Order: sequence, then structure tokens, then C-alpha cells
Amino acid sequence: MKHSFIALIEDKCTSCMLCVRECPAWCIHLDSHTVEVSEEGARRPKKVNVLDSFDIDYSLCMYCGVCIDVCPFDALAWDEHRALATTNREEMFLGIKDLRPSGSS
Amino acid sequence: MNRVFTWQQVEPDQWRNKISELIDSGFVYFDFLTGVDRENIDSDADCEVVAHLAKSDLSDSRIIFTQVKSELASIADLAPASSWHERECAEMYGITFTGGDTSPLLRHEGLGRPPLRKSAVLAARVLTPWPGGAEPEIREDGRKVGNVSRRRQRPPGVPENWITP
Amino acid sequence: MRGVRLLRAQRRVERDRLLDVPRYALTSDPRVGVEIVSAALACCTLELQAALGSGALVESSEEGASPSVIVIAGTVTDALVPSVVQLIRAHPGVKVMSFGACATSGGPYWDSPPVSKGIDQFVEVATYVAGCPPRPDAFIQAIQDLACSEDA
Repeated sequence: MKHSFIALIEDKCTSCMLCVRECPAWCIHLDSHTVEVSEEGARRPKKVNVLDSFDIDYSLCMYCGVCIDVCPFDALAWDEHRALATTNREEMFLGIKDLRPSGSS
Repeated sequence: MNRVFTWQQVEPDQWRNKISELIDSGFVYFDFLTGVDRENIDSDADCEVVAHLAKSDLSDSRIIFTQVKSELASIADLAPASSWHERECAEMYGITFTGGDTSPLLRHEGLGRPPLRKSAVLAARVLTPWPGGAEPEIREDGRKVGNVSRRRQRPPGVPENWITP
Repeated sequence: MRGVRLLRAQRRVERDRLLDVPRYALTSDPRVGVEIVSAALACCTLELQAALGSGALVESSEEGASPSVIVIAGTVTDALVPSVVQLIRAHPGVKVMSFGACATSGGPYWDSPPVSKGIDQFVEVATYVAGCPPRPDAFIQAIQDLACSEDA
């Protein structure tokens, strides 16, 4: 398994913010909001977090993998993307689309 | 090989005696000496100095530690290798090893708080917005209603009431 | 005059003895001279050495020739910045590669007072390579891309 990239499996993320808080480089940024979802048969609606944005600043990331270890939902994983080379630092700020695991649509 | 590790706490005034005793009973391999900033102890002596000595075949190890305020007797004459470690511990934790080599390793004099003490705050961590401080917001029909949690979170290494801009 | 200025700058940099500056060239295009600045630590240096071991670069025998690429790798501290800037300015037109997280932003040491938070605060950077440290093949790919962009 190559550790050349950290990918986000969007469906598994619950916006719990554990990865954001544990990252030693402070390179993960997450924005989310809560919605109420009514369920059939439930007495009251439940609150669900909806992920708005998830970004990893790869100019700071030190590939320690603490975010992957700490995620209770396995939403982050090592991946085999080629490592990044960019012409400016802004291009290293990758969002949900660019964080998709390789081999996923 | 089965390796045995024993932790032993000693009083600061017994530090040299204990180490001398250990070396005499075969713990001749000096591995390291370093400090640990235990800021939660309610006493003046909030810095721990810890040393590891082992038998030369590494089968038996003793990890001795003591709690000091800012001074401890040097063991450099007993274990010459400890001199470098004491110099590093001195400049990283601000401990004076009396009777030993006190010349600096890396830091200039008067550079500020010893870097590995918890009281040495990194200003960059105070000033940089911590991504972990955000909390999900409740929205009704697109309007922000409030924060889910009113816990104020501080990033690690930033004490409460440190100077803020 | 340019040759004399280069020699003087080179001597000043050598006197600093803070920078290890070997001279290499791309195996695939020996016109592209590469200088590697390994600042402090060794993590990025090891990956660069692995890349060198793969044969992507050869030692250049062109004495006094100006490099096309200068690679800044490792943790640059504020104390080291003048030497790095001096070296880059000694070769006008050179492309700078910021290799690894430390050179790009300070990396894991972003909060440390003596560490520079990215050499692009002082010099223009043509390519940033992410990684801590980046893999050798990331370096090889990046330097080949940079060489191609030279010709463009």
C-alpha cells in the first residue's frame, strides 16, 4: 500500500471533526451544517450533519496518517495518487472532488 | 530475549546515590537522560528528570525518575555519556545540572523560555485560526440558527487567557 | 561581467558553508543544470538521494555554468534565508523548486519561531512539490515537467 496521498470517502464522513482537531499540522478544514430529518415511526426528528466542504492543505500535510487512524467511520484512507506538484500553493488546497480515492468515479 | 523494565522514583537528593548504585550493580549502559514537563502537579517541583540505564546485554533496564524544580546534581562523572544529555535537558527544560558541564548545545543565552516547557507558548498557534474550533451550525431552510455545541474549543498548546490580539 | 559576478557570488556562498550545493544535470537533457540546496534535516535529502541513485540526474561537469533549476529542500530557517536568497539571485532567471512541505510552508514545523513559513515569501517559486517527504518519483516527475516548460 503506497502512502502517497490521503483520500476522503465522502459518503462515510459524518462531520465529527475528529480528524480536524487531531491533525498536528492544522491542515484539514471542514465545514458542515446540521439538518433535522424526520423518520417514520420515530417520536422526534433526528439531527444529521451534512458535509459542506472538506479540504486538505497539502502544502502543510506531513502524511502522518493520524487523521486516518482517528476517523471512527473510516472516511479517510491512504491512496496511491501520484504526489502533487503545482505552480502555486493555492492548487495544493484540495477539496472533496480532488480528494476522491483513485479508481472511484 | 526477555527484556525487563523497572521504573523507580527517587528523591532529588538521592539521584546520584541511586545511579551510582545501579552502575555498580551492572547497569553500565547509559541510554538517555531527559525531562518531562509535568505541569499538573501541585508543587513547585513540576519538572521530571528521567534516566535509563541498562545492563550491557539489555536484558535488564532501570528507568529512574525524579521531580525537580530547576536544579539537579550532575551524573556526568559517573556516566560520561550523560554530559551531552544533561546539556540538552538543561537548555530544553531550563534545569541546571550542578557540578556538570553547563555550556549550551544549540541555544543562545537569553532566548526566552526553554522550548520544551509547556509554559513556552508558540505564538503562531495562538494567532492562527484553528480549523478545529468550528462547530456545525443548525440551519432551518437555509438560515443559520445557532451552533450545535457551545463548547469553546482551544487548540492544543494554547493556554486560556494568553495574550490575544 | 556576468561571469565575474557569478564567481564572486559563488565564493560568498561557499564561505557561508551552510549550503551543500552539488551541481547536477538532467540525464534526459544535460542542458538543464540542477543545483540542490539541502537545508537542515535529512528527510527530504534522503528522498533526493534516492532519486539521484535512480539515475535521473548526472553529475554535471560544466564548471561555472548557471543552473536552470535550484531545488530548495528541507526546513529553511530564517537564519538561512539570506544564504538561500543570495544563491538564487546569483543565477538570474533560474527556476526555483520548493521541494517538500517544509520549504513550501514550514511543514510540520509551521509553528516553530525560527522556521520560515515558505521560501516563496522571499523568492519566486516555479514549482511546489507536496510531500513530507515527497517520493523520489515525485521529484523526477516534477523536474522533468519543469525542464519541459523551459523549452515552451
